[in-house]
Formats: sequence, structure tokens, C-alpha cells
Amino acid sequence: MTKPKAIVIHGDGINCDAETSFAFEYTGFEVERQHVSDILSASQLLSVAQLLVIPGGFSFGDEIASGKILALKIKNSLQEQLHQFIDRGGLVLGICNGFQVLVQMGLLPDSNRKAKPTVSLAHNSGGKFINKWVSMQVPQDTHCFFFKGLTQIELPIRHGEGRLVVAGGDDSAEADIVRSRAVLRYDEDVNGSFDGIAGLTNDKGNVCGLMPHPEAFVRWTQHPSWTAVGAGFPRPQLGPARHQGGETPPLQRQMKNVGVLTMPPRDRIACADIPHGLAILQNAAKALN
Amino acid sequence: MMQAQTISQTDKQKPGKQDFPVLCLAVVPKKKFDAKVDIVQFPLYWITGEFTTQSSSQAAPQGLDAAVSVLQEILTDPLQEDLLWAIDTSADRRSSWARQWHEQGFALWAERQFLPGVTDNLGKTIEEALTVSGFASGIKVASGAGFLFGLNTTINYPSLESLIEYCRYKHFHPLADRFVVHELDRVANEKTGNQDLLTFPRVNLPAAKPVEVISLDLNENQLETLSKERLLALSASEMQAIKKYYEDRSVQKIRQEHALPKWPTDVELEIIAQTWSEHCKHKIFNATINFTNKYASDGDLPREKCTVINSLYKTYIQAATEALKPKRSDLLSVFVDNAGVVRWNNKWAVCFKVETHNSPSALEPYGGALTGILGVNRDVLGTGLGAKPLFNTDVFCFAYPHKDLVQRQTMLPPEAIIAGVRKGVEDGGNKSGIATVNGALYFHPGYRAKPLVYCGTGGILPLEVEIDKKKVSGVEKHTQPGDTIVMVGGRVGKDGIHGATFSSEALHEGSPVSAVQIGDPFTQKRVLDFVIEARDLGLITGITDNGAGGLSSSVGEMAEITSGALLNLDNVPLKYPGLAAWEIVVSEAQERMTISTRRFAELKELAVKHRVEVTDIGGFDQRGKFEIVHQGKTVAMLDLKFLHKGAPKMMLEAEWSPPPVKAELGSVPNDLGQEVLQLLSDPNICSREAIIRQYDHEVQGLSVIKPLMGAKQQAPCDAAVIKVLYDDDAGLVVSNGICPQYSQYDAYLMALCAVDEAVRNAVCVGADPESLSILDNFCWPDPVHSARNADGKEKLGQLVRACQGLYDAAIAYSCPLISGKDSMKNDFDDGTVRLSIPPTLLISAMGRIPSVDKAISMDFKSPGDSIYLLSAGTTSLAGSQYAINKNWTALELPTLDLVKAKVIYKILHEQITNDMIKSCHDLSEGGLAIALAECIIGSGLGATVSLALPELRYDAALFAEGPGRLLVTIDPVHESECEKLWGSACLKLGQVSDDGQLKVFEAGGAPLLTLGVEEMTSAWKTSLPID
Repeated sequence: MTKPKAIVIHGDGINCDAETSFAFEYTGFEVERQHVSDILSASQLLSVAQLLVIPGGFSFGDEIASGKILALKIKNSLQEQLHQFIDRGGLVLGICNGFQVLVQMGLLPDSNRKAKPTVSLAHNSGGKFINKWVSMQVPQDTHCFFFKGLTQIELPIRHGEGRLVVAGGDDSAEADIVRSRAVLRYDEDVNGSFDGIAGLTNDKGNVCGLMPHPEAFVRWTQHPSWTAVGAGFPRPQLGPARHQGGETPPLQRQMKNVGVLTMPPRDRIACADIPHGLAILQNAAKALN
Repeated sequence: MMQAQTISQTDKQKPGKQDFPVLCLAVVPKKKFDAKVDIVQFPLYWITGEFTTQSSSQAAPQGLDAAVSVLQEILTDPLQEDLLWAIDTSADRRSSWARQWHEQGFALWAERQFLPGVTDNLGKTIEEALTVSGFASGIKVASGAGFLFGLNTTINYPSLESLIEYCRYKHFHPLADRFVVHELDRVANEKTGNQDLLTFPRVNLPAAKPVEVISLDLNENQLETLSKERLLALSASEMQAIKKYYEDRSVQKIRQEHALPKWPTDVELEIIAQTWSEHCKHKIFNATINFTNKYASDGDLPREKCTVINSLYKTYIQAATEALKPKRSDLLSVFVDNAGVVRWNNKWAVCFKVETHNSPSALEPYGGALTGILGVNRDVLGTGLGAKPLFNTDVFCFAYPHKDLVQRQTMLPPEAIIAGVRKGVEDGGNKSGIATVNGALYFHPGYRAKPLVYCGTGGILPLEVEIDKKKVSGVEKHTQPGDTIVMVGGRVGKDGIHGATFSSEALHEGSPVSAVQIGDPFTQKRVLDFVIEARDLGLITGITDNGAGGLSSSVGEMAEITSGALLNLDNVPLKYPGLAAWEIVVSEAQERMTISTRRFAELKELAVKHRVEVTDIGGFDQRGKFEIVHQGKTVAMLDLKFLHKGAPKMMLEAEWSPPPVKAELGSVPNDLGQEVLQLLSDPNICSREAIIRQYDHEVQGLSVIKPLMGAKQQAPCDAAVIKVLYDDDAGLVVSNGICPQYSQYDAYLMALCAVDEAVRNAVCVGADPESLSILDNFCWPDPVHSARNADGKEKLGQLVRACQGLYDAAIAYSCPLISGKDSMKNDFDDGTVRLSIPPTLLISAMGRIPSVDKAISMDFKSPGDSIYLLSAGTTSLAGSQYAINKNWTALELPTLDLVKAKVIYKILHEQITNDMIKSCHDLSEGGLAIALAECIIGSGLGATVSLALPELRYDAALFAEGPGRLLVTIDPVHESECEKLWGSACLKLGQVSDDGQLKVFEAGGAPLLTLGVEEMTSAWKTSLPID
């Protein structure tokens, strides 16, 4: 079986490229890290990949508006190739700043060529950057390839501009489309986002933007409560944990409904409930196989 | 304020080839402003340059309208914002803005922009965006903000002056910004153009001054005056040493050969001043000190004892590490490079450095803290052949805002300092993609003299790098004669000139404005990515950062490796013309690294990809000289030996006697529960969540023990644990200790406690205490006796005591010191008022946990678990937060049994490794009661404890503080085994309960206090004076 190929871009202030690359490699992708300059000057790179990831960070220092200038750069030299990539079913994942880039490029919630931008990611209602783990719900029967079969997820958010705003207002027709393209909703109001939305997809479900960071939850020891729920029980193991003697360790029990996914054979642990970020990446791998 | 109100119009009046029109832009929200609110703020921009382009790009704008439409796309969110624009020579356009706002009910409008030459990151980024969009390169953008003042503000601040006063430090900083207020009705009706509207802030320097020769044919007083006037911060004896050097025959001969004058050029004198500055040379730590201990206790009776200490650094700091080296084969590079380097595994090393940025933060806190964090990142980047930053730490000491604090004209309000520092560290860390994993915040009114801003960074570097097909050590420099000197990153401007000498002086009225710098985390992130890739390609043979002293220090220091360097200033890229040669050499313009390479062409190619500027600025050689060429002529030729070793040693006097301590204790309060709640809400104890959440503490995906853990993400962890490599289970533990509350009693105790606290915090989460390395950062009030500093000898005596304590603790705990820094002039002095900080020593620790899944957090885990107090010392109310708040003092100071503590920490580590310990928390501010409360808040569980401590007052039992104490919970089945291991160090207190209550009973069984988790949590979550 050949591994699906992912391009993870870096440079120009992107700063989550290392862990994002690791997470995708761990999930079974062949990852190519590409500098923004390289991908813009060698657009054929996209034609051999199945997944494009724009990781989190502070591209261009978040100046003017987060994601704005990187979006401008990509649009100016790569727009057509990117549309072709999306049209032929390639997956695009923008995480945090990457989500902001996708929105600025007008690829979410609609990624067809004629779509006009209808949403922005504005400053959090609290006016501050927030680093916090949040619990979120996946809408039932989502058509997004990254979220099929998932229901409830915990991941960290780490952003200052994550409040989704619909230009036409909350009662507009655009708002209805946005609602239908939601892939994640916060359980609590963390940033004033429209309809509590934490992530969006396009009509085909192959372009996805997330404010929370899936690459930040690929081992149990990344969860802020892992030391608490492990007490008195077998400690959750590093990386995906195995069921032990039929008893699900409490952390996994708490993070229910993750879905059972098969890990790539190279991993030391065969199968089980896995950390939620990994589950999202696994879905991408499954969709491409 | 005059400066802010007078606007130079000279730019417009000077026609020239750069006389492009200035386009003024305002980005305003689509929804109508509400004049009833206080203040509306929105972005303003000034753009100048060619608005058409030669490029054939589709997006290339043609003419002004096209340019504006591109600008609209770049600068606005079309869904939410509109763009207003005007050419600044046409009055009516901007008048129309004013009319519009006036009609909406606003009376006043303010414009803010950076003073010419201040780093404008937003402006720079827009310039790049415009170039991407087809504008001709060379377009200049200045960013700023507009403010409309609503009814409330204009009522509260009726005069323009009072309004500006209100806005100062809140909406603008006079050292960094221009801020001008306009009356809207006047602007709206202006027909002829507004002379006071701001236009593009051009740097307009007169032609650069030619290199000057400075005669040292002067007497001692004149030499001292010269040093003061030129801000050299050199002493009379240092000036004499310089004079002597220039009088040397052999020096004169060489100078003649190079057509140099007999006496120094200004370039040479500035280089010597930077290199010999306290900041760079640590003259106080290397001084010969006559130390008089008036209370030496090595006989039966206290007596006076005099000792000569030949360098505090050598005697106590280096000596401790040397003594420990045989036990620690992992120490790869200590005290020589920009950070201390320790082996991690067979492929990688880790390094750690902590810096202070106190003086700049006192003047302009945002820029000061931002450049502080970016500066220490560069220290790590400049370690070995380049280390990648893994984590940041930050420790702040502030005066808590209070009406009784001293206010002086040149002092910022404490709120402004705190807010600026916090924001600076946020931008510095978050935008660089470096997780802020650990820190501390301590309030004491003494920090009104200067805030302390400690910024630390740890990094990872390879043990081996391949250069020219040869494997060489990655933790050393390999610069050779013939290697090219390369400047990487930002351009050189007037920023930060005299930073190194400035931090070596007390803040005073004339502190140089050019010391204000604002860092650019985005440019630095590009530099960082570039350096790491260049290192891995073997293009870097040596690297160091440009920090204090600029090129003078970085090239001057690297020149020592090969024994010679020639620096060509004509190649150094400048931000703007008009810099004198000496200014180029000592400028501390940010985001720059100095690299040596043998493959400049390849380095340059890589730099294009990363959009980083690299310049060949000279070469390394082995002539024993530091030579500088300017406009084709040699302007400096300094003997390297003289430059680095020629500074005369300082001779200083130190005295110490224990200060008289009185016992003044009130009676035990009736409601001790209330006392617990009050302490929980104390600024030195309460939750740091508001700050922690604003710093990204997880980026890079390596975190294991985060600042806040537990079931509800609110358990305040004692130390951080991160992975160093994604595919390796070993964890790096990072902690700190800072105990300035004891320095007024005895700085020796303060140092012991700081080391103990750092070690204990690391042990709490599972670190192997035998793997710890520590860093020392001394922040002291000026310890050099003078007329203005009458108690200088006592302050130096405290420094000696602190060094002795540090030595004893480091040796006892087997913790080598691997890096350190001192900041010795933390005083405020405006000629009338002189203030000094409490002597403060920060200890930062770094260690290892063999497997991260063994790490534990401090929150209680299961009801029924047994709670133990482990202690290796005695406690006292002296210096305790409880006593400080009540203004009480106690006679006895706390003590620490270093040997016992070391044994306990080692046992605990083994038990944590064997899964015996459920939770472990250090006792610090607030004592036992607060430690218990925090474990309850962190877990939502409860505790039932009884205080079998009959010899103490109950408030002392609850709130007294002392080093070497830990609160530990275990499964009751392990009780007997644990008690046997812990012996006399342990005391069983009670059990973890499931009722969410802290219940404390007297020894006899009578209830002493009961508190619920909710009331404790809400007290603890008291907000800090931080936005």
C-alpha cells in the first residue's frame, strides 16, 4: 500500500509545521514540508499530493488581519492550481492560522471558483488570545471527510482571532449555509463565534478549516487532565493506548465516542480508542485510501 | 507633551527625488460609530512611493484609483470595514472625514503614529504585501491609529491637555509615538489644508558626522567628564587604562602604519566602552572585594572577619560547577557560549539561557519585554552552531499598583508597566512559535525602582554537524581565518544605541531616547527558520547574536576565536542614511545574527528563499586585531587582547552584618478560615490563569505537564515537563525559584531558598534531582559605594552572602550552574528621589524525567489517599506572606537542612518513578494552608487534616513559610513503607476527602477551620492588575 502524500507548508511565520508534520507522518502519510516560497514557485508540487495542510502560526505576524497576507500570496500565484487540486478531490486542511488563510482566500464555506467570501474570523469577543482545551461536538452525519464517524472531541484552541462572523448577519441565507457546513461546535462560548462554530468545511467536504489544533492531541500525555484521570488506574500510555484486559482506561472512557480506527501497521500499538486529533487525521488517511 | 503636539512639516517643504505624494488612509468599521461610547479606535496608514508599477503582474495597479482598490483589498475586511483615503496635500478629503465624524457627534479626533525610526512591524508587512500585489518596490508604509472621543471622555477630560494626559501610556507612549489631538469642528471647516494633521514620519537625519578623533590628553577629572558626556559609562581608572594603551609605543607604531591618529577615534572609544560595559564584562562579579563580615560565627562568639574575594564569579559560581563537573559528564559547554549546553542523548544537546531586560522595560515596557524575549531567543539561536528554541520562561517582579507608590515625572504608572510587559512577552513568544511553559510573578513595592523582566529560553542542538564533508561538534564554533563575516536579519538604525552602557547605569532624566526599541518577531522567526536550515546544510561555521553592543560585541567576540577580524562598515545595510560610523558599530537594532561561513554564495541563495537579508560585512583573520573600515579608510584598529583583557579590575568594599530583627506579632486571629481566603486572593498567591491563557504554552506539540492541569484545567503546576523530541519518551523539566522576601533578612538565606525552590518544584513533577542544572540571574541595586549610593557596601555585602548561599546550595544539591547573568544597576534616581529594588536572585532549573508518562501533577487524586507533610527545614512567620500582609515580623528565620532535603528529594523521585506518589506540591507563599487549598482547588476534592504541631501558634502552623517542604499524597496501603523511607522528615496530616472541603482540626480534635472548594476557588481566582 502506498502512503498518501501530504504537503505541509512552512515559513513566513507559520509555526506549527513541525508537530503537524509529525502528526501526519505518525498517521501514515508521506509528508513533504515545503517552504511557502518553494510551493509558490513550483506549483506542480500540488499535482502529486493528496493533502495540503496549512498549519497554525502567525503568518506575517498576524499583521493587518490574521492569515490575510499569506492568503494574498497564495492567491496571487497558486489560485488556479489550488482550485484544480480541490476539484479533483484533494483534501485541504487549514488549522488555526491556516483556517484564517482559507477564509481569507474565500475557500470556506464555499470553495467553487465563483464563490464570494461570506465569513471572517474576527478578534475573540473577550479581546484576548486564548490557549485552552475545549470540548466540542461534531454535527451528526457531517459530510466532511475529516470528521466522519466522530461525535465529541476535545482539543486545544490557541488563537486571538477565532470568532466566526457571517457578513450577511445571523439570519441571512448565507448564515444557513454556514450552519450546514459546520464541522465542530464549542460546548461553551469561548470566543463569541457564530453558532459556536469552531470549524467549517466546503460543500464537498474536502476542504476543512479548524480553529482548534488536532495535531496537538496525538498522544494521551498532551491532554491537560491526563495526570488526573490516570490516578489509581493504569496510566494512559504514550501515543494511542491499548485496551488493557477488557477494561478501558478511564481517560479513554471519558473521551467516549471517538470511533474505532485502525492504526497503520508500523505503529507499536495495534488499535484502540485514540486521541482525538489523531482520529481526525486518521479519517483523512482513510478517505484517501 | 510639546513633542507630541508640534509636527515637523519639513518633509513636505523639501522637494527631492523622493517627493512622492503621501496617501492617508483610515480603515473604519461599516457599522456607524456610536458617539455615546468612550473611545473608538481604528487603523490609520500613511503610504508614500510610486503608486504605479513596472511589473507585468495582473494585479499591478494602474493609477491612483487602481492603487486604492488594491489597498482596500489588503487593508480592509470588505465584509466589515470601509477605507477612507486622501492625498495629504488635499485638504478637503480629510476635512470630509472630520465632517462625517463631527456629524455623528464626536468632538475630538486623535492621530497616533510611530516616531520616525521606531520599528513599525505592521507598516513593514504591508510594504511586503503591496510588493506581492504588484506595487513597485520601495513603497513605504507607516501604520498608526485614529481615535474618536465620545461624549463621556470629553466630559471627563474637558481640556486637550487633560485628555492627552489621560491617553499617555494608555493609548500612546511618548518615547515611541506621536500623538496629536484635533478639534473636529475646526478640521471639518478647514479650507486650506491642515498644518497639524500628521503626514508620513520620515527619518530626517542631518548628514552623518565624520569620524572624530578624541584626545585623551586629559587629567583624571576631565577623563571622567568625557566618559559621562559621551555616555561611555567608563570609570576614571578604565579611562586611564585606555589612555595608557594609546600612549604605548608599539600601539602608536601600528596606528601610524594604518594612517590612524595617535588618540582613539570615536569608533574605537565606543567599542571599548561597549566591550568593557558592566552589561558585557560583569565587572562587579569579577572585582576584587574586601568583604567584612561583622558577624562571622565560626568561633564561640560572633566576631568581625575580613576576607579578600578574588572575583565572586570565580570563587562561588565557576567553582561550584568545577567541583561538580567530575560527577556530570553531560555538561558540554558552561559559561562560555550564549547559553549553557547539556547533553540530552547520543544525538542531541539541550541548552538554556535566562536574561533580564529591566531598564528598557522601565522606559517602554512593551518594546522592552518584547526585545527581551526575542533577545534571549537569539542567545539560544546563537549557541553552538545554532540551537532551535524549544520553550520560553518568564518571571516578572512588579510593584503592585497602589496609590502610595512613588510617582515621578519620568516614571511610568505601574499599571502601564505591567500591561506593556505582559503584552510584549505574549507577542514575543506567541508570534515566534515558542511555547511559554513556566514562569512566576512576584509583587513587592521595592520594584517601583525598576520592574524585573526575566526572559528565558531553552533550545535543542545537534551534537554533530557536517561542514565541508567533515563531522564537527555542533556545540562549538569552528570559525577559521578566511571565513566571511555575515550579518543576517534586520537592518541597522539608530535603535538601541548605547543599550549596553545604558543598562549599566541608573535610570535618570537624560536616559537616551534611542534606547527604545521594538522587536519584530516575524522577521526573527524567518531568521530562525533560515539559521536552522543553514546549520543543517553545513553552511555555518560559527554564530552569535547581535544583542548588547551590536556588531561591536558580536564581531569583537567572534574575532577572539580566530584572533582577528576586519569589519567593513560600507557593506552594512542601513535603515536610513545619516548614521555615524560608531553608531553603525554599536547600534543594537534587533533581529540580527552574526555568522561566519565558508560558503557565502550558498548561504545567500538560501536566504532568498527565507526572505532574509544576509550581507558579507568582512572577514575573520589571525592578525590579533579588530579592524574596522569605513568609506574605504581604517577607522579602528584595536588590539584584541587589550579589548578583551585590558579592563582594569575593580576593587570594591563589602560589609555584612545581620540586620536587627524585632519580633512584632499580633494575636492569633479568631477566624483563620477568613485568613486563608484573604491569602488565596493575595496578588502573590492568586491564580495566574489570566496571564497563562494569553501565552501559548503548547505550540510545537511537546507539552506534558502544562502550567494548569487537573480535571478542570486549574491545578497550578509546580514545574513544566515537555518532550524534547517527538519520538523519544524522555522529558525535560523546567522550574524556577525566586525568594526576594528573604533578602532584607539575609541574602544567603534568599539564595538557599531560591535554589531549593527551583529544585523542589522540579522534583514535584518527577524530575531526577541528580540530572538538574541551574542558572543564576542576579538583579541587584547598585552595589558600588559612592556619595549617591551611601549603602553600596552593604548591598555588595548582600551580594557576597547571596553568592555564598548559591555556592553552598549548588554543591549540596549537586546542581551545577551552567549559565547566568547579572543586572547590577536596578535603581531609580532622578536627582531628587533614589529608589532601589530588593536584591533578587532568580534560579532557573532544567532537568530530566526518564519517561514523561511518569510525570505527576500537584492536584489531589483520590478520596481516601493519605496526606503527608515532608520537611527538611524549619519554618517562620518572618518573610511569610501572612506576616507581610499584617506588617508583622518574627525573630527566627526559617532554616534548611540541605543534606536532609537532598535525601528526601532523591527518595521522592524514586517513589514517583515507581508510581507510589499520587500528588506532590511544594509549600511556598502562604505555607501549608495555601498548599492544601491549591491541591483542593486543582482537584475539586477535599482534605481532612489535623495539626499536631503543639509548639506553634495555629496561624504559624498554617501560614509560616520555609524551604524544603512538600505536601504529598499516597495510597494508604503504602503508608508504612513510605513512613519508613521518609523517617523523621514526614508528618501525617490526614486524608483526601470527596466532600470538596478543607477541614482543619486542632491536635485535640476541636475544629479550627472549614472552607468549601467554591469559596476557596473564587477567592483564588481574584483578578490580577493585568488586562
